[in-house]
Amino acid sequence: MSVLKRLTEPKSLDTMSPLGAVLVYGGLILWSLVVLFPLYWIAITSLKLPIHVSAGPVYLPFVDFLPDLHAWRYIFVDLGNDTLRPYLNSIVVALVSTMLAMLIGSMAAYALSRLEFAPRLASILLFILLGAVMIVAVAGFGVPWWIAAVVALALFLLLARAAGRTMRASLGNGDILFWIISQRILPPVVAALPIYVMFQTLGMLDTRTALIATYTTVNLPIVVWLMYDFFVTIPKDLEESASLDGASRFAIFFGIVLPLARPGLVATGLLVLILAWNEYLLALFLSSANAQTMPVLVAAQNATRGPQWWYMSVLILLMILPVIFLTLLLQRFIAKGMLLGAVKG
Amino acid sequence: MAVTSAAHVTAAPPERESLSDWLDRQAGRLFILPAVILILGFSIFPLIASAYLALSRFKLAPGGYTLTFIGWFNFKKMLTGSQQFHLLGTFGAITLLGWVIMLATVALVVWGVVRYVRSGRVTVVGSIGRLITIATALALSVLFAVNLGEGGQLGTIATTMFYVAGGVAVQFALGLGLALLCAKPIRGRSFFRVLFFVPLMVTPVGIAYTFRMLADTAVGPFAPLWHWLGYAQTSWSADAWTARFVVLIGDSWQWIPFIFIVLLAAIESQPRDEVEAAQLDGASGWQIFRDITWPSIAPVAATVVLIRAIEAFKIIDLPNVLTNGGPGIATESLTLHAFIEWRALNLGGSAAVAYILLFLSTIACVSFFNFVVKPMREARA
Amino acid sequence: MKIRSWLAGLAMAGVAAGAMPAVAAEFDGVTVNILTQTGPAISGPMQARAPEFEKLSGAKINVITVPFSDIYQKLLTDWSTGTNSIDAAVFAPQWMVDYAGSGFLEDLTPRMEGDQALEQDDIAPFFREFSQKYAGKTYMMTFDGDFHMIFYRTDILEELGKQPPKTWEDYLDIAAAAHGKDMNGDGQPDFGSCIGKKRNAQGYWFLTSVAGGYIQAKGTSEGAFFNTEDMTPLIDNAGFRKALEVYKKTSEYGPPDELNLDVADTRVMFVAGRCALSMDWGDIGSMSVDPSMSKVTGKVGATILPGSKEVIDRATGEFVACDADTCPHAIDGPNHAPFAAFGGWGGGINANADPKVKDAAYAFFSYLSQPAQSNQDVTKGETGFNPYRMSQLEDVATWEKMGMGKENAESYLGAIKTSLNSPNMILDLRIPQNQRYQQVVLDTAVARYLAGELDVDATVEAVVEGWNEINEELGVDEQLEAYKATIGAE
Repeated sequence: MSVLKRLTEPKSLDTMSPLGAVLVYGGLILWSLVVLFPLYWIAITSLKLPIHVSAGPVYLPFVDFLPDLHAWRYIFVDLGNDTLRPYLNSIVVALVSTMLAMLIGSMAAYALSRLEFAPRLASILLFILLGAVMIVAVAGFGVPWWIAAVVALALFLLLARAAGRTMRASLGNGDILFWIISQRILPPVVAALPIYVMFQTLGMLDTRTALIATYTTVNLPIVVWLMYDFFVTIPKDLEESASLDGASRFAIFFGIVLPLARPGLVATGLLVLILAWNEYLLALFLSSANAQTMPVLVAAQNATRGPQWWYMSVLILLMILPVIFLTLLLQRFIAKGMLLGAVKG
Repeated sequence: MAVTSAAHVTAAPPERESLSDWLDRQAGRLFILPAVILILGFSIFPLIASAYLALSRFKLAPGGYTLTFIGWFNFKKMLTGSQQFHLLGTFGAITLLGWVIMLATVALVVWGVVRYVRSGRVTVVGSIGRLITIATALALSVLFAVNLGEGGQLGTIATTMFYVAGGVAVQFALGLGLALLCAKPIRGRSFFRVLFFVPLMVTPVGIAYTFRMLADTAVGPFAPLWHWLGYAQTSWSADAWTARFVVLIGDSWQWIPFIFIVLLAAIESQPRDEVEAAQLDGASGWQIFRDITWPSIAPVAATVVLIRAIEAFKIIDLPNVLTNGGPGIATESLTLHAFIEWRALNLGGSAAVAYILLFLSTIACVSFFNFVVKPMREARA
Repeated sequence: MKIRSWLAGLAMAGVAAGAMPAVAAEFDGVTVNILTQTGPAISGPMQARAPEFEKLSGAKINVITVPFSDIYQKLLTDWSTGTNSIDAAVFAPQWMVDYAGSGFLEDLTPRMEGDQALEQDDIAPFFREFSQKYAGKTYMMTFDGDFHMIFYRTDILEELGKQPPKTWEDYLDIAAAAHGKDMNGDGQPDFGSCIGKKRNAQGYWFLTSVAGGYIQAKGTSEGAFFNTEDMTPLIDNAGFRKALEVYKKTSEYGPPDELNLDVADTRVMFVAGRCALSMDWGDIGSMSVDPSMSKVTGKVGATILPGSKEVIDRATGEFVACDADTCPHAIDGPNHAPFAAFGGWGGGINANADPKVKDAAYAFFSYLSQPAQSNQDVTKGETGFNPYRMSQLEDVATWEKMGMGKENAESYLGAIKTSLNSPNMILDLRIPQNQRYQQVVLDTAVARYLAGELDVDATVEAVVEGWNEINEELGVDEQLEAYKATIGAE
């Protein structure tokens, strides 16, 4: 074999050619550096004194500068409870809202992937219109009726494209899916105030429950969409045979389908957890003292004496660590779809 | 809602339906209802309230506040009035680049229309939808062209479109590349998988501040490099385009893991036996990718791009922390624009900007959904 | 939190001692929720003094902190929607008009009049008569004296043989001469002037500081933002145009990323030794003696904001030379108009809170502001409180001991004194929705000007048009009334 061939041909089916290995590992290591450098910088900044930051870059602890634990001490000791409370809040809110979102969202995604829904357009519009009028009346805006109608018309136009593919006046799964994901389009800054008013009316401001409910709803669309794609790739044979044996839909879902969709569940679950863990704007609005979460604490380190880079770095590290831990625990579940191959074969 | 045919035929139902059987029949509705109720509950009121806000003026008054209805005033101010420079940018004489952009868009539109007409499945509403998409695409291309012209400046619409289109493209390319690399038979895949995932874990506000530290040309870690390259006297934050690129870089660093992790899961779920068969047949890596891997992950890829695009329209943390929207208004995104207005108590103006963002984003995402995601799904099925 | 262990200790000590001072029972069982920015500045001293106050009065002080940029909205949302979970707040007087005008703030006049311990006469007249008041009534209690000054490197100026700048021409002259020198011994060239010009930060205040000396000469009630007759913006005149040009020129002697630096960055740069001149609130003074961040201890001087030997004639908008008529408050020639930007952190009380809670909140604020506590806090940089009482400005010894050295301390306190004694101080804009005028319109126009997107005329036009529009939207007459009320104009 020529040198070139030996370099570019894999030794066996499951390995790479030498040249290929160099390129692949090279690329991976390069990106690893891109990922690690900012994190390294955060880590050493948490050990720096203000003078180390403002005078110029220093790179290596003990070589360029003497690491100092003042930032860690301040966050853990001086602020003790003021750090612990947001931390616990973040953990509880993120975990609970993620689990709820995964449960409700997977169920919805499964239904959309297996069954055909055909909601009548007319009834949907009516429902929306009624709900709108009711809310407006309750909120006491004193809005003239034609405002509500104009808004309903706007909603109708948004859905018209999806509704009229056939001449039947009903929607299909695709439209429901799209409506669900379109919830993510409106920027939170505008929805924040109405949601604040909603919770204020219920007397639930500054509670973890409010945050959990909000995060669950806000992240549902992502769960539904990602899990839909995973469920669709799972062949129906197993379920069909199980239901012929008399198993109920619930049993099929929880006993057969979910385990098969584990890679998707873990990936989606981690993503949603992170979105909930890192969310800033809604937390800022809905919490003040009791339910404050970590991102708000991080942002607050931008004080009048300059961004307190050292405190901020400590908080950022504190926020990353549990997520890394969780990822390490769960990443082995994102394994190859072994069972899929078995069923197909 | 009407639930039509289930996927199979059951045995003859018993005389008296037990609770569990009834539940089973309603399963479809029960599965989807919680999600629908939650979403409806949280979306109707904010949507309507913000619509009303966009059409009114907020003023503090003794005892609370007043909301006066003023019709389209907020929108007019932004599209044709004194705030036009903010939203639409300033217009300059169109240069070659502008013409190229407009012609490319027209060519794409013509190609799409021809394909549609030829497909033979023309419908009234389908045509209306495509008209909306075409009109928006053409309007945006003209906006870009005049913004990029002589003496023109990008407004928040054009800047946001840049973040979305440019950002998503970069993130998808790199995310896919990394997923493919990681899917190869390498050692330490778990290690890389966790490591590459980490940027997504950092709270966006934290990332924004971190990149502010990193990009500092005076005391940041790369400062010696800039000085050595001769850039000591200039700063990326003083030029509009370099500032936008730095925002893009920060945004990409954070969101590439999102695309990476989903695509990696998808690649790992592709039919292994087909891949092995192809390898035994002597197919090259590229052929395997083109014929097996890509078709199997295309729907998921389209979905993840759509989700990423939707989020990208809302970008705010990075421009806010890195540059506060500067220099001038160069890095200000639509959400940041809305946020600034809202912070200054101009709730009406803020809601108006948010609604413009809503329409733009919806049209873009519906178009992407209908012309990219659905065909890919249908191709797989 | 440290406070909990403090409380536990105190409670046990109290029980063990068996007797408590009579006044301690006054607010027993009362909890006050106070909102302010996340520390250590501002909230730090409050959290530190809460336990001792509780020992004295029985009231529990609960300090809630949020990021600075969110305080305004959080208070407004809480109070205007009737939630009222916040009993009192420490915030910027500039926002007072939105809260007081809507009836959210408690009128403190009767309480303060009867409060001997507060020693109101010691508070600098500007804060007492203008900053704390709205439409003649006092709504806030001052803890902090905020206005702009120029800080300079005494060693660099000495080397160059220059005097502290009295006019903006002097300022530019010094900046040009110093630019490029190595001022902190690290081998890198440093900068003549560092001003935080970042968008959506403090740039609009700094611009007003430059413009003030050209525009306002006849005292605070003349106003520096609008014409008090018909609410015409004081923008389309020679003074504002000159100010824009001066402001842009300082960038030539500044760091290359000055457009992305806010005041927090520039003050850190100054005390790290990288600037010859800077414009700031009083923080540089206290930061300069902080060993963990300062390389310039003992080398920092301060002076009142530079002024101008010409001011504008209000009728024509053109420059006229300064004399006894046109510039009655001139100091040795140039007219100075120190700008009390932001106004200085102060405490306000929610009018809709429980009466007992309101009393407790007032007692705490008074405690904070009383000389015994306040004189300590203003000398510690990390509290964020700058001097505002006349007696604090005589206290050279404390600053000297902290490492400033006699000369620097006299210079620093002297600059503050001259500024506070000036009858021509500019009161920050406090009409309803002032953020729209300053942040949305003025700041954006100035940012675009600095970035080269607009020239001087286009900038002036943008601000005038923007301000007039807002006036019309909110009602010109109402805004005029509010404006005259805040600056005490007739």
